[in-house]
Amino acid sequence: MTSSNLRNEGPRRASPPTTSDDLRLAIIAADPKLSRFNPLPRILALDEFNSGTHGWTELIGNHDGTGDLNVVDDHMRDFRPPQLSSCTFFDVGTHGAMSGTYALKIATRPITGHTAVAIRRLTMADRGLVQIEAYFTYKTEAASEENQAASQPGAGAWDANIHPSEKQFGAFTFATDICDADGVRYHTVARYQNTNLDREFTRQWMYPVVPEPTPREHFENKVHLEYAADFTAPNPDDWRPFGNPQSLCYNEVPTKVNWHYLRWQIDTRLRRNVELQVNDRIYDMREIPVPVYTEHYESLENLLNFYVSARTHTSVRNFMFLDTVLISVDW
Amino acid sequence: MRQSLTAVIERNTPAAGEFKTEPYEVGWASEARWFLRLNTIPEDRPRIEYVTQISPDGLVWCDLDGSGYESTGEALISASVQEFGNWLRIRGTIDGVSASTKLTIYLALKS
Repeated sequence: MTSSNLRNEGPRRASPPTTSDDLRLAIIAADPKLSRFNPLPRILALDEFNSGTHGWTELIGNHDGTGDLNVVDDHMRDFRPPQLSSCTFFDVGTHGAMSGTYALKIATRPITGHTAVAIRRLTMADRGLVQIEAYFTYKTEAASEENQAASQPGAGAWDANIHPSEKQFGAFTFATDICDADGVRYHTVARYQNTNLDREFTRQWMYPVVPEPTPREHFENKVHLEYAADFTAPNPDDWRPFGNPQSLCYNEVPTKVNWHYLRWQIDTRLRRNVELQVNDRIYDMREIPVPVYTEHYESLENLLNFYVSARTHTSVRNFMFLDTVLISVDW
Repeated sequence: MRQSLTAVIERNTPAAGEFKTEPYEVGWASEARWFLRLNTIPEDRPRIEYVTQISPDGLVWCDLDGSGYESTGEALISASVQEFGNWLRIRGTIDGVSASTKLTIYLALKS
């Protein structure tokens, strides 16, 4: 597993170059909305949140035939509705997003362990490379008399560089939920852990070694998780680091928004990760294991879901912002 | 075509007592409407009081003038909100319900 500096080589070629490839790359390079991305040959979705939520919605656990929400798993019943945010703050007013005024905001409650999740639901027309790219940032909620964030766990001293709120951001996660036509289901997961559960900086990319507990496993009494459990993999011991720690640009205070580039590629033919790029780092993820559910699932034929989550490790709201997401494939 | 978005601000949460909803950004919307729905049982005679709150920054809040609402005996109530700025939440009180009664709050927005 390695990380390395990146030299931007532009959109990647799937095969030896042809005139049509050159034309495609030239068109991408000339389009202001696309030239900041490196898409695979077919673009499935270009989600610029200045024009709406583009199908990114709140994740929820399953309910029964009567629509009884009391049967929804406790840890999957409150993932919060995403917001179209103008990135407005107490000090400067509206900051705005990268591509316009609005970004998608995924906001936790101020409850230790609470996770907010937005999900995008697609299906697969073939197998092969799948890539999600995003411009994102992450913030904690600024302190106020009502939220008392400055005195909540994780807040440290202010030295005019590192802000106390930075240690109050827990983790954000990019992940998938995929099911082959034969019912084989798995998740690929890339989590940025800003702080550990003791609210110490780790700034470490992580992956889980177990598949996410499902509502069916709860229904069959195989698992029961409490509210605010880590739904992706509830046991902290089931998370492993990959690559070297990576510092991101929180930019000193909770009200300055700097957008980061992320590109994460997986291979659905091989059911594995390929690589993760975050700004100037590329992490080779080919050897990272992808746990597969031992039981098969129906009703999920060719499932291809992407989710993005934020998780707070203290009693302060954590925010994940997405300016734009691009999903592309090589089929 | 106009944009619209319905957010489930509270979903099936215990209803009795005082509550304040999470901050929600609505700066893109020119119309907003709350729906409060109680999953009642026959013994319930719910009484709801709430007021819409607005904020310049999502941190400090004040009541929106004229946005108070009271209801008795209704399982679904709704009211619109005007000229609300970038943030909305509501604070309220519910009584006359059993411990098993749950509250769901929808916020329906249009550009």
